[in-house]
Amino acid sequence: MKKKLGFSLQKPIMLLILVAALSIRLPGIFLTVNNLLNILLAVCIWGIMVCGTSFALLNGGIDLCIGSTAALAGCTMVLITIAFGYSTAGTILGIVCGLGLGVLCGLFNGCISYYFALPAFVVSLAAKNIVLGIAQRITNQGTIICMHSDLMNFIGTGKVLGVPFLVVFFLIIFALAWFVQNRTTFGKHVYAVGGNPLASRYSGLNSRRIGISTYVISGFTAALSGIMLSCFNRQAVATQAGSYDGNVLVALVVGGISLQGGEGSLAGAMFGLLLLGIINNAMVLLGIDSTYQDLIQGVLVMIAVAVDVYARNKNNGLKRRRPLWKKKNA
Amino acid sequence: MSENRPLLSMEHIRKEFPGVVVLDDVSFSVEKGEIHGLMGENGAGKSTLIKILTGIYPSDGGQIFVDGKEVDIRSKHDAMSCGISVIYQELSLIPTLTVMENIFLGQELTRGRVFLDKGRMRKRAVELIEKCHFSISPDDLVETLSVAKQQTVEILKALLMNAKLIIMDEPTASLNIQESESLFEIIGNLKKQGTSIIYISHRLEEIWRLADRLTILRDGVVRGVLAKEEIDPAKVVHMMIGKELKETVSQVHEPKKDGSVLKVENLSTRELLDQISFEAYGGQILGIGGLIGAGRTETLECIFGLRDYSEGTITLDGAPVPKSQQQAVRQGIGFVPEDRRQEGLVQLLSVEDNLALPNYDLFSDHGVVSRRKKADAVNRSIKQLRIKTASEKNRCMNLSGGNQQKVVLAKWLLRDLRVLLVDEPTVGIDVGSKSEIYEILRKMADEGGIVIVVSSDAEELLNISDRILMLVDGKVFDDMPNVDLTPDDLLLEASGIYRKERGQ
Repeated sequence: MKKKLGFSLQKPIMLLILVAALSIRLPGIFLTVNNLLNILLAVCIWGIMVCGTSFALLNGGIDLCIGSTAALAGCTMVLITIAFGYSTAGTILGIVCGLGLGVLCGLFNGCISYYFALPAFVVSLAAKNIVLGIAQRITNQGTIICMHSDLMNFIGTGKVLGVPFLVVFFLIIFALAWFVQNRTTFGKHVYAVGGNPLASRYSGLNSRRIGISTYVISGFTAALSGIMLSCFNRQAVATQAGSYDGNVLVALVVGGISLQGGEGSLAGAMFGLLLLGIINNAMVLLGIDSTYQDLIQGVLVMIAVAVDVYARNKNNGLKRRRPLWKKKNA
Repeated sequence: MSENRPLLSMEHIRKEFPGVVVLDDVSFSVEKGEIHGLMGENGAGKSTLIKILTGIYPSDGGQIFVDGKEVDIRSKHDAMSCGISVIYQELSLIPTLTVMENIFLGQELTRGRVFLDKGRMRKRAVELIEKCHFSISPDDLVETLSVAKQQTVEILKALLMNAKLIIMDEPTASLNIQESESLFEIIGNLKKQGTSIIYISHRLEEIWRLADRLTILRDGVVRGVLAKEEIDPAKVVHMMIGKELKETVSQVHEPKKDGSVLKVENLSTRELLDQISFEAYGGQILGIGGLIGAGRTETLECIFGLRDYSEGTITLDGAPVPKSQQQAVRQGIGFVPEDRRQEGLVQLLSVEDNLALPNYDLFSDHGVVSRRKKADAVNRSIKQLRIKTASEKNRCMNLSGGNQQKVVLAKWLLRDLRVLLVDEPTVGIDVGSKSEIYEILRKMADEGGIVIVVSSDAEELLNISDRILMLVDGKVFDDMPNVDLTPDDLLLEASGIYRKERGQ
């Protein structure tokens, strides 16, 4: 009989094997504090989105609008910063407006999908284009460069005790999201509604309000990560977070958060995120031709999900112990 | 000699799930043309045994023989090629297709492997329907058929695949009396044609009537195999639950003096309910009877704020009950819905989280959950209600039906409830858990709570209610104390043709 652990071991093990293999293959290059910080830095902007969007997925929804929301928030912040002459006050105002727009995007998605009973997939897919369109309009489809805001520069590239501010900020957001999901009434309700909306309603939960809140959170963190991205790049462009929806969803799903809702954990999603980060980092260090990188990433992600799901089913007694290739009796 | 070999024999079957042995050295056999009953409390291992037989779960030990040959069943497809078919409680038909399309699904007859041969399929379907004397047409849309007729479609599907053994899991659970009768007739016909049947049911009278033999499981072990002559209710119940059942003493409880009162006046909805008025008192269990569709569930849903009503008032101790389930919960009303799998529980969550679901307001401080308070309350109620689970962290989907229902009840009992609404408290639940659930409801009433129970089971209503309200076509037909009533009275009242005479 296997001992019951509070969590499954296959994800940490997969990650460890990957790290060990890379450390041997790239001695003195991969396993260094600097490189590990680089990996964290590379994933922390996605990571902020993962934290918020995990709420929408756990609740049984999906949010495909996060990339566009990030673009709109970043562009808004940069435009306002420039309009106020790169002053810190202007940047703060820009950040507040950007976050406000993120909240509005989430509210819009949530309200439309709940009040009109439309699938979140369709609503957020449409909203993705609407929001992207707005971002393109306000930037006139150009790249807006903003080098001289002190606050932006600090957020983007500053360090706290030697650690990049972005990484610190991401860890704070992660801790906060983890706390809300695991230790608060709201978090428990999100899991319940995602697991069975009907039973939650029959238990006296307001599933609509909970559902809309998850989109608001998702929109908020999307905006937050868009702002971080613009600070890091010192510029804003409507296409800046185009590939983010995909990567964030991949991290969530690799991490074991069910697209049907109600299952999975943020800690798992972080493994997914790190896996993506390490794969991308290693491909650069190994000097793999960039034309192959998407292909390889896709294949590795698929293997990771397959191994994870297979191992989990086996532990639950749902899969056969006999090897797959053993022939069937006549 | 193949004549003497049983059609199916399962030998020394073992199955474990993490932390529990579900089946332990279970041997089970079915003869040709035999109707073999299978009984046991929920959680005894019946469903697991069937799932192993049909390839849904792998077994952890033991062998299966069909016609004397050992077989390795790894999928539903393997089971079918051995001639084994299952008719599940939840039917697995596609509602938007016709009867013919459904029975040929996956084994369509074709011309040249590409084009459907509708002519041949229709001919084959009509032959089968006539052979079994079913009253359906191959062109009926499945969604327009009653549950009973859908079941006959499932049977056709099994016969088309030349099933030698059909497994029926609680086939009469959603059928009315006439429909059950015609199902029994069909089963009789199948038997005459040499088809074997494994018949799983909680209803002893059905088993007694149909089964040639009966196997009883308890805690994953075979407790006895009885021949038809040996089937005796007391013996069977004893084997199933391992102890004698207490006879419930029927006695009408008077309402508590100065207790709570739930008053429903002229409740009407646009679709069904028509001027429903009644009062329910603390200290009493009010049973609501009537046929399916008479408006019983709808009445409960209106009280709990799940359903909007066009007219009428609902008050609890004089204060109006608002039309919102959140507010209803805050007023001290709890609702145990009819379909515990879909509406009662979040299957993916643990027992602990399900128990806590409506109660986070009690366990939390400014929205932050106190894990100690939660764990204390959860453990207390698991102990009090004797919920059988390996751990409070176990997912609800792994619990048996009776224990799941206890979880649904327990989550409400954690609150200071004034009103508990219960829709079909014991559907698909074994005898042992049933009597425990009755005790729980009675205790709630004894402590001054208002308990309203809707049930289609006349025996159950008579057993637990102090007063019975009969609904017919969305109207209150009768409101009577539970004195000198018989199941026949309730049946006649439910059809709206007769009111029981009674003196003051």
